Amino acid sequence: MNLREAGLGFLRVLGGPEANVKIVVTVKLVPEPSSEKKIDSGTKRLVRTGVETVINPYDEYAIEAALALKEKLGGDTTVTVFAMGPENTKETLRKALAMGADDAVFLSDAGLEGSDVWGTASALALGLKKVGFDLVICGGLSDDGSSGAVPGELTEYLGVPGITNARSLDVVDGKVHAQRETDNGYQVVSGPLPALVSVTMAIGEPRYASLKGIMGAKKKTIAPLAIADLASPLALGSAGAKTRLLDFAPPAPRQKAQVVDAPDGATGAKIIFDFLKEKRLV
Amino acid sequence: MQNVIIFVEHKKEQTRKVTFELATQARSLADRLGGAAHAVVLGAGASQIAEQLRAYPLDTVHVSEDADVDRYLLEPSIAYLEAVAKKIGPSVILVPNTMFGRDIGSRIAARLGGGFAADVTGITVEAGVISCVSPKLGGALITTCAFQNTDFGVVTVRPNAFTAQAGGNGAQINQLEKPAASAAYSVTIESEVEEASGELGLEEAPVVVSGGRGLGGPEPFTTLLKPLADAFGGAVGASRAAADAGWVPYSLQIGQTGKTVSPNLYIAVGISGAIQHKVGMRSSGTIVAINKDGAAAIADFADLVVVGDLFQIVPELTKMVEAAKT
Repeated sequence: MNLREAGLGFLRVLGGPEANVKIVVTVKLVPEPSSEKKIDSGTKRLVRTGVETVINPYDEYAIEAALALKEKLGGDTTVTVFAMGPENTKETLRKALAMGADDAVFLSDAGLEGSDVWGTASALALGLKKVGFDLVICGGLSDDGSSGAVPGELTEYLGVPGITNARSLDVVDGKVHAQRETDNGYQVVSGPLPALVSVTMAIGEPRYASLKGIMGAKKKTIAPLAIADLASPLALGSAGAKTRLLDFAPPAPRQKAQVVDAPDGATGAKIIFDFLKEKRLV
Repeated sequence: MQNVIIFVEHKKEQTRKVTFELATQARSLADRLGGAAHAVVLGAGASQIAEQLRAYPLDTVHVSEDADVDRYLLEPSIAYLEAVAKKIGPSVILVPNTMFGRDIGSRIAARLGGGFAADVTGITVEAGVISCVSPKLGGALITTCAFQNTDFGVVTVRPNAFTAQAGGNGAQINQLEKPAASAAYSVTIESEVEEASGELGLEEAPVVVSGGRGLGGPEPFTTLLKPLADAFGGAVGASRAAADAGWVPYSLQIGQTGKTVSPNLYIAVGISGAIQHKVGMRSSGTIVAINKDGAAAIADFADLVVVGDLFQIVPELTKMVEAAKT
């Protein structure tokens, strides 16, 4: 049972032995960041086969934030990992379980292929409502899509308080407290559970999975979820998408750099100055 | 989609340069769509920013100085923006591609059930269909996406991608009424702390002078790079290595996990040019590197690499740029 189902339960002081916050971390499975990425010219989608799949690096920080919070709150607090992706990437989720998550839910359906930001956030919201949660934690960005829009959209579709770019996170008395990064510092904010928080990399380095964790992960559950389970009132996947990729091309190549040795400071500065002058940049 | 709405980011009665780029683009886009160009400015100082915006070719500037906007996180801004968008009808909403812009953009896109296009550097209209050009996968591909199946599209626009051009007859100012949702705001801003210089605008500086591991510590960022950046009227940035080492705050970091910039001139000082850095600055106009290693990766995407001692070159260059201004 989560706090929402428990009604007044969330008014109870958390952090004691009876704490039971249900934390769900959204995780994207992405092509290995240093791999060469290609878009299929027929489907106009990112090619996800033939490259190693990893947990989106930003989401590892979200998992770390969840596990650290669980350790602090104790009690029956749980961490569930929720992922959406092609069926063949499912086993990648074992890493999150090896890090210490209690269980995982894997939403996979051919009908979700070609989802844009709207479709991704809508499907995740329906799935998360089905799974239930007190606190959703997201990474701030995905390594492949990089729109940074899913946490914000998800907040709206879940209809819960939302806090983005948290660099620290705590739950006290049924409220989330966070420091969130701004362009030139941070804000101290708080809001009631259930809520969604996205985290930055300043939240803390993700832990390594221990050998015990890796062994234990093999026995943990990865529950499957399909489109039919979501009972979506709207068409998802490419059928419902609000944006459509028309075209893609590599950027115009840059000319090879001029490489010039500067024996001393004045010479080096003059080389740069003359170059900038020619380009009318000084 | 016929009309255009820009959301104005501002702080302490100062707005970003990108605001005026958005205002100019809003006019051009509204003309191509046959609609009107609107702006929404909220919170403390909004009226003053609205006055500045009247120098740009907008039709209406919607204003509220409601104190809730600065007291609660995002929710009041979204409620106001939603009310304006629903009143105006099908429209494209332009926000800057900054931390705050992405927050506003993603929330309002979902609130209106609209489409979302991120980090856009070009917008085209063909037979009423709006398409957005944006670099993806760290600039490795330039994509074109069209909005479909929706009355609303949200575009986060990369600073420096469009030019700002004053003009027009002065927009009408419309004072907004408090939205009905105001009783339900839930996330409170308890306090705000400024750590960095307090300046808005690394993303939109015309010149960025950026430092990396080669600087060896925090001091050269203020003693070497800041004077050079100031001489150009630009801003100081940093590589992830410098931010990770604690030499500068993360808010100055440029690259995959930091900010994306595309200034006219990017000067990389003591930066090797790892892929993680490259993706945050590769679309800059001209790229100059000062490095002790001529074979560093940065040579693959810079226009000029000067191989030498940065501690000697940078002060000399600062003097020359200063002298050229007078």
